[in-house]
Amino acid sequence: MSRLAAGWGIQRRVISALMLRELVTRFGRENIGFLWIMAEPLLFALLVGVLWRFMKGPEEHGVSVIAFVATGYIPLTLFRQTLQRAVRVFSVNGSLLYHRQVQVLDFIFVRFFVELIGAMMAYLFIAVLLITVGEFPVPANLGIFLVGWFYYAWFVLAMALCLAPLSEESDILEKLIPITTYITIPFSGTFTMMSWLTPPAQAVLYYSPFVHAMEMMRDGIFGSRVDAEYSFAVPTTACMVLTLFGLILCRRVRRHLVVE
Amino acid sequence: MIICDNVNKSYPMGSGRKHVLRGLDMVVTKGQRIGFLGRNGAGKTTLIKLIGGVELPTSGKITRKMSVSWPLGFGGGFQGSLTGYDNARFIARIYGHRYDELKDFVADFSELGSQLKMPVKTYSSGMRARLAFALSLAIEFDCYLVDEVIMVGDHTFFEKCRYELFEKRHDRSMIFASHSADLVRQFCNGAAVIHDGNATMYDDVEEALDRYYNL
Repeated sequence: MSRLAAGWGIQRRVISALMLRELVTRFGRENIGFLWIMAEPLLFALLVGVLWRFMKGPEEHGVSVIAFVATGYIPLTLFRQTLQRAVRVFSVNGSLLYHRQVQVLDFIFVRFFVELIGAMMAYLFIAVLLITVGEFPVPANLGIFLVGWFYYAWFVLAMALCLAPLSEESDILEKLIPITTYITIPFSGTFTMMSWLTPPAQAVLYYSPFVHAMEMMRDGIFGSRVDAEYSFAVPTTACMVLTLFGLILCRRVRRHLVVE
Repeated sequence: MIICDNVNKSYPMGSGRKHVLRGLDMVVTKGQRIGFLGRNGAGKTTLIKLIGGVELPTSGKITRKMSVSWPLGFGGGFQGSLTGYDNARFIARIYGHRYDELKDFVADFSELGSQLKMPVKTYSSGMRARLAFALSLAIEFDCYLVDEVIMVGDHTFFEKCRYELFEKRHDRSMIFASHSADLVRQFCNGAAVIHDGNATMYDDVEEALDRYYNL
């Protein structure tokens, strides 16, 4: 038990050191520094939201278009960025494995946390901004919103846990990621609610953990203005299975990892 | 104590595998300073990486019962795009040391001055060696893993390392990969000849050197 506690202490130290290092290497100390981490999701959500606002009018299905796009796009950038940055994360950071307390899993956690913090800050920023101009509802149920966010983030992390080791073994994978994340968009619940879709489409999307997480988040934000449909069993099962699979892959790859 | 028990390490090579270490057994006790002797490619650096935990053995087990430094060589341990100070700060954090103390020691020992504010990738190999030694001496380990290639510092620095590592810390263990008979004679109280994927330990350095020259 005390060994476990000591190990936990070391990993916490390592992860926080790696995070600070990641922030400094990626964003430097100049101008707004690490605040850049929220720039990308923020700009994406705002600009695409404004674009849609002019294309589709102020409201669709009874909710503000800008608010709906923002609630969809910020998790989506978390998903895309995290996967993109999980590629070859072990060999890129290989020189840090010279220090025995640094584990390969730390690399994935760190890059994921950096993206997660950026996305959450962007979400908060955009919500406050849009609420003040009356384009965003005051959240109906923060609890279910956070549960949905948790599931979405967990599934993204689980995917990164699988992708990072696989990308070390196959070069082709890296080239397939942009197109795969693009194709995934219709299955991510970003632009639609389940209740807007036809029954055959619903039957397919029911198996996407992203959709359940997104419905929970939108239920939390828009409340009774949308008909959210979700279960906890689907995302929980999917996340657990994928996480386990990812951990096994990471462990296997660590054994063969060649460090320069 | 460090115990290597039936350690194998192989790397993929074409369609087969290249076996670098085959069933290697070795014990390094506290206070032992072992020189690793062997031809180029015999597996000295690989074994040092395994003992340091940088890479994992294909099979077999390595047990460390004392604190072991990271392998001090050219590559590894640093992030090239970060400055010397940032690297020092990172190492202070992960080893749970206070940065202000470590910073003073590193600046003093490495004598790199304002160079420490520049990215490590702009350093010469001698400067990297200075930084690596400074950091590992600041952290303090029971056993130091040293690759000879890092002994590239100028005369003054070499003397400084010799004093810090071999006189002040003479009770520590060391594993020292080397081709130089002089350095092994000077610094080690034992030697291991690495050949054909295995290591043979000698308590007598001269005997080991003899064997090494006759490989």
